[in-house]
Amino acid sequence: VRLTSREPLERTRARYPDGGGYIERDGIRIAWDRYGSGGRAILLMPTWEIAYSRVWKCQVPFLARTFTVLTFDPRGNGRSDRPSAVAAYNRAERTRDALAVLDAAGVRRVTVVSWCEPGDDLALAVEHADRVEALVLIAPDLLVSETPNEDRYQRVGDWPGFARAFFADAFPEPHSTKQIEDGVGWALETDADVIQRGLEATWDNEEPHARDLLARVRCPTLVIQGSEDRIAGAARGPVVAAAIADSVLMELEGSGHGPHLRDPVRFNVVLREFVEAPAPREVRWTRARSRRKRALYVSSPIGLGHVRRDVAIADRLRELHPDLLIDWLAQDPVTAVLERRGERIHPASAQLASESAHMQAESIGHELHCFQALRRMDEILLSNFMVFYDVVQAEQYDLWIGDEAWDVDYYLHENPELKSAAYVWLTDFVGFLPMPDGGHHEAFLTADYNAEMIEHIARYPRVRDRAIFIGDPEDIVPDSFGPGLPPIRDWTEEHFSFAGYITGFNAAELADRAAIREELGYRADEQVCLVTVGGSGVGAPLLRRVIDSFGAAKQLVPQLRMIIVAGPRIDPSTLPTAEGLEIRTYVHDLYMHLAACDLAIIQGGLATAMELTAHRRPFIYFPLKHHFEQNFHVHHRLNRYRAGRRMDYDGSPPEAIAQAIAQEIGRTVNYRPVDADGAARAATAIAELL
Amino acid sequence: MEDRQRRVAPAVTVVALSSPPREQTRAVYPDQEAILDRAGVPVRWESYGRGDPAILFLPTWSIIHSRCWKQQIPDFARRHRVLTFDPRGNGGSGRPGDPAAYGEDEFAGDGLAVMDAAGVEQTVVVGLSLGAQRALVIAGEHPERVRGLVLIGPLLAADEQPGAEREAASRFTTDLSVDEGWDRYNAHSWRRDYRGFVVFFFSQVFSEPHSTKQIEDCVSWGLETDAQTLITAEVPGINAARVRELCARVRCPALVIHGDEDAIVPHAIGVQAAKLTRGRILSFEGSGHCVQARDPVRVNLALREFIASLAKAEERGGL
Repeated sequence: VRLTSREPLERTRARYPDGGGYIERDGIRIAWDRYGSGGRAILLMPTWEIAYSRVWKCQVPFLARTFTVLTFDPRGNGRSDRPSAVAAYNRAERTRDALAVLDAAGVRRVTVVSWCEPGDDLALAVEHADRVEALVLIAPDLLVSETPNEDRYQRVGDWPGFARAFFADAFPEPHSTKQIEDGVGWALETDADVIQRGLEATWDNEEPHARDLLARVRCPTLVIQGSEDRIAGAARGPVVAAAIADSVLMELEGSGHGPHLRDPVRFNVVLREFVEAPAPREVRWTRARSRRKRALYVSSPIGLGHVRRDVAIADRLRELHPDLLIDWLAQDPVTAVLERRGERIHPASAQLASESAHMQAESIGHELHCFQALRRMDEILLSNFMVFYDVVQAEQYDLWIGDEAWDVDYYLHENPELKSAAYVWLTDFVGFLPMPDGGHHEAFLTADYNAEMIEHIARYPRVRDRAIFIGDPEDIVPDSFGPGLPPIRDWTEEHFSFAGYITGFNAAELADRAAIREELGYRADEQVCLVTVGGSGVGAPLLRRVIDSFGAAKQLVPQLRMIIVAGPRIDPSTLPTAEGLEIRTYVHDLYMHLAACDLAIIQGGLATAMELTAHRRPFIYFPLKHHFEQNFHVHHRLNRYRAGRRMDYDGSPPEAIAQAIAQEIGRTVNYRPVDADGAARAATAIAELL
Repeated sequence: MEDRQRRVAPAVTVVALSSPPREQTRAVYPDQEAILDRAGVPVRWESYGRGDPAILFLPTWSIIHSRCWKQQIPDFARRHRVLTFDPRGNGGSGRPGDPAAYGEDEFAGDGLAVMDAAGVEQTVVVGLSLGAQRALVIAGEHPERVRGLVLIGPLLAADEQPGAEREAASRFTTDLSVDEGWDRYNAHSWRRDYRGFVVFFFSQVFSEPHSTKQIEDCVSWGLETDAQTLITAEVPGINAARVRELCARVRCPALVIHGDEDAIVPHAIGVQAAKLTRGRILSFEGSGHCVQARDPVRVNLALREFIASLAKAEERGGL
């Protein structure tokens, strides 16, 4: 596995701290955080200096919904100090840091969760039994059994090389690129000197001392051990568990050293059960025969195209099953659309971490590396899957529909035993594709993700009861999933059914353009150019560039009326203005304007481009840089429809845009007609499951 | 047929019933069965399996006997010591002729005697319907012997409106000369047509469609006793004041399970019982009175969860 050493700055988390700060002991500052405020308290211990509190990123958002969660960064990494004295790294100091954090947080008793700890956690539980109500030991690093790798990581040498080798060993499970990258990224926030000090400091994990501590642990203890643990060795967990009086051993077959990061769903469920959320006072269960048919619709919030087709499918589904009740697990901006329609939004939707805010944070200028952005959304996806998990555990649905609900699809295949309803997967593209300038590494990563998906489907064909492609086989790119992997089209034709495209509106209702123009106040002799970037905040640079072209375009097209739609996430006052140019924050019934305009200028998103194609309107689209879906999948599909004129943001100065406007505006098009039956076809396929 | 249908609850079809000639094959047979003597009244009890905590499934109204737990015993006997006994007035227990022998304190005493005979110090006590009263007596007056309390469709005197069954019971000895609907809940009617009452009663208990087997079972158990025994056993239960007092003295965690379409005991009484015992309420939507027979999987899972939570609560000493 080749790894990038330059980890971009952390951007969005699924959850941010609700409290915390620094404690200071002997002049050394330790950063700590508190998340949530209810229920029992949990202290997630930092592991050794190689990483810090972010190792708990998959647990914090989930646990904080129920418990008070405390984390801190170890001396030597994260936001804590990096003292220069070796003695400051003695492991006993870590135990005192933990107690100081508990005191600072005003927490009396906690469940202590530790990863790869050499006994600090045990010392806490034994010497401060009044503070520790339970222990969870993941892959304990106590020298109580033969282990193959004992000396491998005792010398630092080349630090990045050490970190890469260490985390590659920590995550031996296939397709662990993201976990390894994360680990290396955390490791590189400290350096070889700190690590060397940590290794030279006093550890208390030698057998006699460890045995003594183990024998004295009195609190309930859960030991979690992966069978493929190449760091601590698979044998340690059972020995540790056997030595603790009140212990449960959970062995994870096929797991490596960090199951909380590699198999977070299972780990989280086990951990919550062990810590025990207070049982609700009131629970309802509806006997099977008394249940109304219910579907849970999980609609992707990335772009507005999904929700529009999803409500069209939902409407058709309700025609076929009038008794069907549909709940939506969704977030902004999808929920805004659903609310206007009076759809039932599941209250747990409020607990979802924002995917669209993440996507916005990941974009720079007219650029969104959406493959990396998706990978870097792993914490948010997991957090949102845990919300989904809680919803479907508590309520009985007959059917789950996920429209590009990456969290649901991915984690169901990773935890197939959780599937307890019929499940439908919808998507309008298949296959992650590397951007050419990403080089071999990106090609390796996309192939690895594709391979994992192909393996998922091959191993667990029962997870997706229906896989529906929103489009036709011809819309599938002519590429391969990667070296040694099948052509995307062949595989997709084998594993999907095809609904045809779904615009989510009835094109016939918008056929009378003249009437719509009159209703919207567009005169017949005006040449209306609509510039829109949808609901995302990613589009400001494109709006500015087009505004800059307005003067030149107006000279070429005297009848030009240009309307800039800033959308809800772009402040119009941040945009330049020009004489005669209209800038609006919001346009009611944008779809009617799109149907009526003479030209539209948009990003490369599929939904708006296909909407214009269906209306047979000329349009210019600017795919976001490094957005593989817009650059390859959408582009391929629009070519098939002979629709739109592609321009690249970087190579298009305002003058070129003005020229293109003049050439395209009002042009008669010969687009391939867009299917009108897609929603009905998809709904029919789904309805069979109800 | 149509007339009969109209007389009973609208959703219920009275099915033709035949009592089986002998008991059907059980999933598990007791490891120990014995009869103990309580002041001359024989009490037949059974013990299944081993493991802590032990569970005592109390008998309910003597119209049926300990077989009403047949869907629980095999599941729990795999992990727990399970104790059951037949109520005075049915099954293998005695049929004393003195109404005083049917007081709730006597049933509670039988339960404690069974625990003693089995050598069990503490149990999770599970009471169904009328059995909830004796469960409360045990849990309230002998809290040291109860680790957890489960009440299913508890028939308790409460602030809430009583159900049709209790209302009918208030006219129990008045001869109405009617053998229809809830007027059948009457000593004179029982003497005239006991079987008719039993069939009617269990068609009310199981308001869920497709409950023929559950109704048949109960009717056949009902026919193991007779009108006179049940008339003798028809004594006042514990009153509302004592219910409150006993609930206040419960020290263990409590769980109440109650169907929201319970035609015998209104759901609101279960909710109140949970409040009084500071326990949890698990409501079954679409369910009638005897969920342990009609929705055994969900009941067993809920019981398992409850029992698991007891161990945890004791380990950690609560929040």
